[in-house]
Parts: sequence; structure tokens; C-alpha cells
Amino acid sequence: MKASPEINQRKTTRQKSASADTLPPGHTAIKVKNIGLRFGEKIVIKDFSLTLFPGEKVVLTGDSGSGKSSLIRCIMGFCAPDCGEIFINGTRLTPESVWNLRQTIAYVPQEPDTGPGTLEQWLARPFSFRINRNIRSNIEKIPGLARRLGLLPDILKTDSCRLSGGEKQRAALLSALLLERKILIADEPTSALDCGSAKKITQFITDLPGVSCLLVSHDSKLAKKADRVVNIP
Amino acid sequence: MQTIDIKIIRLAAYYGLLLIPLSILLWFKVPIIGKTIMAVVRMTAQLLFVGLYLQVVFSLNNPWLNLCWLMVMVAVADFSITRGCGLNTKRFVFPLFCAIVFGSAIPLLIFVGPLLDLPNLMDARYVIPIGGMILGNCLRADIIGVKDFYESIKKDEKRYMLTLSQGADLHEAILPYLRDACRAALLPTIATIATIGLVALPGMMTGVILGGADPMMAIKYQIAIMIAIFSGTAITVVLAILMTARTGFDPYGMLDLEIFTDQT
Repeated sequence: MKASPEINQRKTTRQKSASADTLPPGHTAIKVKNIGLRFGEKIVIKDFSLTLFPGEKVVLTGDSGSGKSSLIRCIMGFCAPDCGEIFINGTRLTPESVWNLRQTIAYVPQEPDTGPGTLEQWLARPFSFRINRNIRSNIEKIPGLARRLGLLPDILKTDSCRLSGGEKQRAALLSALLLERKILIADEPTSALDCGSAKKITQFITDLPGVSCLLVSHDSKLAKKADRVVNIP
Repeated sequence: MQTIDIKIIRLAAYYGLLLIPLSILLWFKVPIIGKTIMAVVRMTAQLLFVGLYLQVVFSLNNPWLNLCWLMVMVAVADFSITRGCGLNTKRFVFPLFCAIVFGSAIPLLIFVGPLLDLPNLMDARYVIPIGGMILGNCLRADIIGVKDFYESIKKDEKRYMLTLSQGADLHEAILPYLRDACRAALLPTIATIATIGLVALPGMMTGVILGGADPMMAIKYQIAIMIAIFSGTAITVVLAILMTARTGFDPYGMLDLEIFTDQT
């Protein structure tokens, strides 16, 4: 999917509201403004900005250690940047807003830790959270979505500790999709997949209608299918 | 029936029994000989001090003094838990203190109040030994529970983050770790309750029997104290985790690694 003229136009008409807690609604899915992050003496991210528009699919690339995963952690509110601002759906990420903003993002980690229990139990767990109870009926979509992501039906009864890396990645994507969120952030979503599965997943993600995707990846096929590739220096 | 007193000289000679386990440790080169000797020296010094102090406390039997002594016991337990868990004393000492006070006061007050119907609830002869038994068990269980809770979240950071990303609030995200920590902390007490009398005669029952009481009276005390210990440990473990969670996590819901004194 290529960037629509509407998206390109939005790229040129970004509004500046540096210190405000909200941006005009619907304007950006994610806006990262001049963030910096350091761990001790080591500078991990230096003055980096990024905008993800609604419905846009952006691949984030960069050398190992360039701070891609740290940037994802900052956007998810798992660590606070030392400087700069992050806006999700126009709302500034703060300790107060993070709890609501996390509920608008589906996150697929690079190495999902599924914990004990069967895959089916793991996939059902998020629906025990108060915020997801109103979409509990989505559990019924698990077999169909699993099939579309190349997961065999038997796997749902398997102890999730026994799944391969690729199966866990697809299971995490399946879990993220069940939550029906408008933003998808995935860290190397195809890194543990074989060529065929990677192609299928790439197609699946890039075809997701109306979902803004920020994908950390070194996969050239995924980069070609994306609307934009952003390199983190 | 009078309890036979132990002569000091004979007790001193009884220390000689320790030569057998120390010889075994030395023979097999188990590297805990120094720690064992140190522990025995500490035990002797602490018990002698407490014995002398309790003689005064028991003879005065002042409710406020007894309460102060209980608070000292809670404070010592509190510092022992933070040190035993490898957690930052400055940040954890107050919430843990509150958890221990509430958790141990409930079973203790019900024991000396409705159960024994004591005219003076703060009677040193009852409140100090029973409080000490409850606190001692709470200390052991809290170290296991609190340590297990924070270290599990630290170890499972990725799983914990994924749970937060799936929409869990802090309470929902920590709930599986709270369950596991309670299980780890309470299982030893449950095992003790289940095998009591069959595997070992517990300390309190032995003490009451040695004090010249009827064995059935000793058993009634033992049943009550086991209920008090289990209630106290369960309440303090849950309270300790919930009350420390306010300081153990940052405003984003992430575990603050600075709570660990050993950050290796």
C-alpha cells in the first residue's frame, strides 16, 4: 500500500503545538517530537522525530543498537524519554494519559513471552481485563484468524511454552489483532518466520484496513510494501 | 507440676553438642561454618538480652511498655524483610511497617480479646509470646512473598510489558505475580498446618506442656496459634505487596529497578 495523496498532504501541513497536551484530533496517529534517551552515559536516541498518520504503514529501520526498540518502548510508555514529546492520537503521553493511550495501541514484541498455559488460554487472557470485557466476543474469532495467519487449529491447545519463535510471533500478532486497535506497533514481526510465512504476514499487515502500523524491521519485502521507510540514525 | 530449671553450667556444656554438626560441616568442607558460629553467638546474645529485658517487662506488665516492645519487634521484622528481600530500605520500610502492624494486629487482638477474654489485652505474658510467634512467621513468609513478587516481575519484564500493552491496569498486571507470591509464601505454613502433630510437636505446644499444663490445653492453644499464624501471614503478605506496589512501580506502571539494592 502506497501513501495516499491525503497522507502526503498531511505530511506537509503538520501543525506545531509544542507544549500543548493535545493536537487537533485525528491529525496524527503517533507523533514523536525531538526525543532523546540515554542509559547512563550512553546516548541511545538523539533528537529524533517521527510522524505516523492514520492508516499509514511505516517501517522503521536502523543499525543494531540505533534505538529502534527503545523508541518503541518510549511510545508504549515503558520508559520515559529524557527530552522531547510523544503524542498518541493527538494526546501527549504522560504518566496520567499513558494508561488510556496504551489501550489504543496493539503491540507485538520481537520475542513474545507467552508464559504458562495453552495458547488458547493466553489469547483469552486480555479479555479478562476490565477495558477489554466489552469485546470479549472476539475470542470466537481466534480459530479463523489463526488459520489466516498460518497457525494450525491444533496449536491452540498446545502449551505455549512449546511453541517455536515464529509461532509465538504469529500468536502475538493474532492477540494484538483480536483487540481491534487502530494503531499496531510491531518489533521485527517477521524475524523468526520462514520466507513463505513472512510473505503472508507482510501482506496481512500491509492490507490491514484503517490501522496505522509502525513496524520495526530489517525485512526488505516488508519495507517495499510499506508506505514509508524511516531510518533511525 | 514444676518445670525443671536448666543449670547455667549444664547449658554451657550443652553447646558441646554443636561440635557434631560443625565436625560434619568441616569434614565435608561445607562453607557455612563461620556463619553457623556467628549465628549461634548472635542467638545467645540476643536471647540473653531479650530474657533480661522481658523479665523487666513481665514484672512491670505495663500495657504501654508492652505495646512499645511489640512495635520494636515489628520494626526489627520490617528491617529484616527489606534486607532479606534485597530491597531499598528507605522506600519500603514504611509501607512494610504498616502491612506488618495491620496484618499481625488483627489475629493477635482476636486471640487475646474474644478468644482468651483477657481483662488486660496487653498482658505481657500473653501478648508478647503470641505476638512474637505471629511476627516470626510473618517475617519468614513476607521475605519469600515480597522477594518472589518483585523478582518475578523483574525476570518476566517482557511478559509484564505485553500485559500492560494489552490494556491491563496496574492491579490487573500484577495480579498473576501476586498470586504466585502468595502461593510461595503460604505453602510452607500450609504444609506445617497439615502435618502438625504427626511430624513434629510445635514450639508453643511443647512450651505449654513443659510449663506444666494439660496436653489438651496445649493443643487448644496450638490450634489457635496456627490459625493466628496463617491469618497473620496471609494478611501481611498481601498487604505488603499491595502497599509496597505504590512505591515499587513508576507512574507508567513499570517496575522501578532502583528498588533493588543489588542491581547486578
